[in-house]
Amino acid sequence: MMHSPTDDNYKPPSVITRKGLSETLELIRHRISIGLAPVLLDLGFIGTLWVLITYGFAWIAWKEIHYFLVPDWLFVLGVIEATAIWESFGRSLGQRIVGKRLIAKGLSRPTVSQRIVYYLLFHISVLPIVGLSLARPLHERLSGLTLTPILRGSEKPAPWYRTTSGVFIAVSVAALLITTFAVTIEGGTWERFLKNPSKAGRIFGALLNPTFQFWKDAVFKLFETIYMAIMATLIGVLVAAPLSFFAARNLTRTPVAKLFYMLIRGVLSFFRSIEPIVWAIVFLVWVGPARNPFAGFLALLIHSIADLTKLYAERIESIETGPVEAITATGGNWLSVLRYAVVPQIINPYISFTLYRWDINIRMSTIVGLVGGGGIGQLLLMLLQAQRFSDAAICVYLIALLVWGIDTLSSKLRQYYEHGRPIQKAPAEESA
Amino acid sequence: MSTKATTTNPEDALTDARKLRKRALGFALDWAIVYYFLHASMYLYLVFWGSQTIRGWNWYKNDPYTAFFNPLRLPSWGWWLILFGTLGVVVLIRTFGRSLGQRAFGLSLQARSGSVNLVKRCIRILVWPMGVILAPIQLAIPALRHGVFTHGLLHDRISGTSIRHYVHPSGTPYKRFWKTQWGIVAVALLSLTLFLGWIIIDADLGILIGRVDEARNVFLEIVHPDFTHFTTPDPIFYQRAYPQMFSIVNLMLLTVLMALAATILGAAFAFPLSFLGARNLMCQSRIGWWIYSVTRGFFNLFRSIETLIWVIVFAVWIGYGNPFAGVMALVIHTIAALGKLYSEQVEGIDSGPMEAILACGGSKLQVIRYAVIPQIIPSFLAFTLYRWDINVRMATIIALVGGGGIGDLLFHYRRTGDWAQVGAVVIAMVVVVWTLDYISGRVREKIA
Repeated sequence: MMHSPTDDNYKPPSVITRKGLSETLELIRHRISIGLAPVLLDLGFIGTLWVLITYGFAWIAWKEIHYFLVPDWLFVLGVIEATAIWESFGRSLGQRIVGKRLIAKGLSRPTVSQRIVYYLLFHISVLPIVGLSLARPLHERLSGLTLTPILRGSEKPAPWYRTTSGVFIAVSVAALLITTFAVTIEGGTWERFLKNPSKAGRIFGALLNPTFQFWKDAVFKLFETIYMAIMATLIGVLVAAPLSFFAARNLTRTPVAKLFYMLIRGVLSFFRSIEPIVWAIVFLVWVGPARNPFAGFLALLIHSIADLTKLYAERIESIETGPVEAITATGGNWLSVLRYAVVPQIINPYISFTLYRWDINIRMSTIVGLVGGGGIGQLLLMLLQAQRFSDAAICVYLIALLVWGIDTLSSKLRQYYEHGRPIQKAPAEESA
Repeated sequence: MSTKATTTNPEDALTDARKLRKRALGFALDWAIVYYFLHASMYLYLVFWGSQTIRGWNWYKNDPYTAFFNPLRLPSWGWWLILFGTLGVVVLIRTFGRSLGQRAFGLSLQARSGSVNLVKRCIRILVWPMGVILAPIQLAIPALRHGVFTHGLLHDRISGTSIRHYVHPSGTPYKRFWKTQWGIVAVALLSLTLFLGWIIIDADLGILIGRVDEARNVFLEIVHPDFTHFTTPDPIFYQRAYPQMFSIVNLMLLTVLMALAATILGAAFAFPLSFLGARNLMCQSRIGWWIYSVTRGFFNLFRSIETLIWVIVFAVWIGYGNPFAGVMALVIHTIAALGKLYSEQVEGIDSGPMEAILACGGSKLQVIRYAVIPQIIPSFLAFTLYRWDINVRMATIIALVGGGGIGDLLFHYRRTGDWAQVGAVVIAMVVVVWTLDYISGRVREKIA
């Protein structure tokens, strides 16, 4: 429980003892994070809006890319000043999000002079972040204003166009829409989009008149794709299941285990944010161009391991602690805790996650093929690049069929493992 | 046919079509497994021992199709042999022991009275062909159909056994799975699949170790990124139809905006469609059911077609490398994916408010506005954010087939073998994807 300076029996902790020192540091960290939250949010919002507007404007007006349109220092200064003014003279979006507002002593409305003092002292109190570590920061102390949490529903909400936050959000949404669509739809794009549907029609026509010349290759490659996904999932499980015990926060208590936890989580989250297609490019270089399915499999494998470990570990973190404590209390070691308290709670979710990952791997393995990762995706890309759309149609159909089939199968099985029973049809569908 | 059933317990007997369907599905699963074992072992035999080595080349390595499609190189009558042979094996494993198909559907072979002994099993196998031939006839004639559901098929009646819902007798210990038939089959299936997969995907750990030197150079270049074009535009865009010159950062921002445009457009279309795809709103009338089915079919069909395939279509339509082509492809997939998620959410709402508004005489639109929408807004927002996340990931790679975005530079540098610059692009991608993942995760936690 954090000490609040407004408590009656509040006593600053002694910094002499080790415990007191750590408490003091924790208190300072807490105060800074509380005080800084609305400021950071507002800085982010105002900066983003400014970049959006200038980016969109420069793009539309001059077909150039500008982020700030002003010198960098002026941008930084402007954003900071705008934030300070907004937070002192109105109720900013950041303050709204953290649920606070400026209130003078005796719950009265702040006067203009108080706000000016608050605004001026904001610079020397908030900008050097240490200023926030005081029990009451300087700008609050001297202006007599406090950022106070307000109860939701305690006042009648004003309509959105009467509040600065509402107007700000409206302007942001407008700027976002205009910029986004101006940037993605360049000059001439729209005309081509309206004029050229016949070009796409040619492809669709070819897809609707498939030829079955390559059906043997397609089916063979389809199985290659399926096996890539199955192998990546199975071996991924073999690696991820043991790894997840070291990646769960509630099972890693000792310092060495914590180090392990941070290492595993960090590396895996890095691996996860690199697309399998990029992994496939890397592994294609590694295993050489002749072994495409192997490269695709390795790309899927590394992504599966990272993803499954995270999913598994999150599930372990949310288990009930009762059985764990019971086994620990009766003198069980780490292994018996795992075997008798953790595993029974996680086995069904694990199966469910694995099926889900299998589903994703099937989709991914067709995509990975497109960069040369083997399977039906590779055949599809080869046929498409040769403009043989009619021949490629069989691949498109097979992929769609496979994805749809696996999707249905895995969702049915997952429903079974999550709820312990197969899907019961709703009465509405049976009567229809 | 005159054998009288001795049990009358409705839960115990094969009482309805659903149980018969379970039994048939279990049988199909067993049959598939047996055929898989046969085909896989023939394939492996050919690949390892049956292959003809001509002038130092493994013939099946060069022509894997023959080994794959027809490992036995059978004449046409051979397939009949396989058909009946596998059927025989399936009947055997389903009669002796509990097969994997029975285990998967929670069934087992039980006697109507007494225990399942060898005589009963043998009778069951002998009568089985007649029972299966007669089954469609029995099911087709309404007068006989009920008898099938209550007393079972011919071989059930004559042998006095039936495949029924399995209830573990209380007080008896569970058998270890490796002592049961289904357990052994499951383990064999798993190992066979792993082994077969290892061969099909052409995996070789030796090559992974042997080529480490080639890989190391590339890795070293990737982890020492070259940031020359990180903020200064790359001149390759002179050759393109782009009106602008992009650096990595510029293009990354464009990618995020593309994903945003796709998410906004997709959500705008998916929102109204999701009500048409919700069973609880639409399935009250026949027309509504048709609309529901068509909408759901559309969602499922378009979700199954990968974004990259849509990109190919739109790249031809709008222009190769044009960001809007990528956006349109993402929109199509987003509509289908979000539409399905949204409509599942609509199906899961509390029906109380809906009934209240209907009872007050509200129209269909008023029901949606005042009873449905307030319940679904938070989860809709969460799903949309999640979709934006996915779209950003997807937008980074759609340039592979002409969708524009950061992948444009990535695949260009990869083609020219400029791995240090690839490293810079990958870093930009990782930072953006990771940040958006984190932010959207936090926001979703708050609103959901």
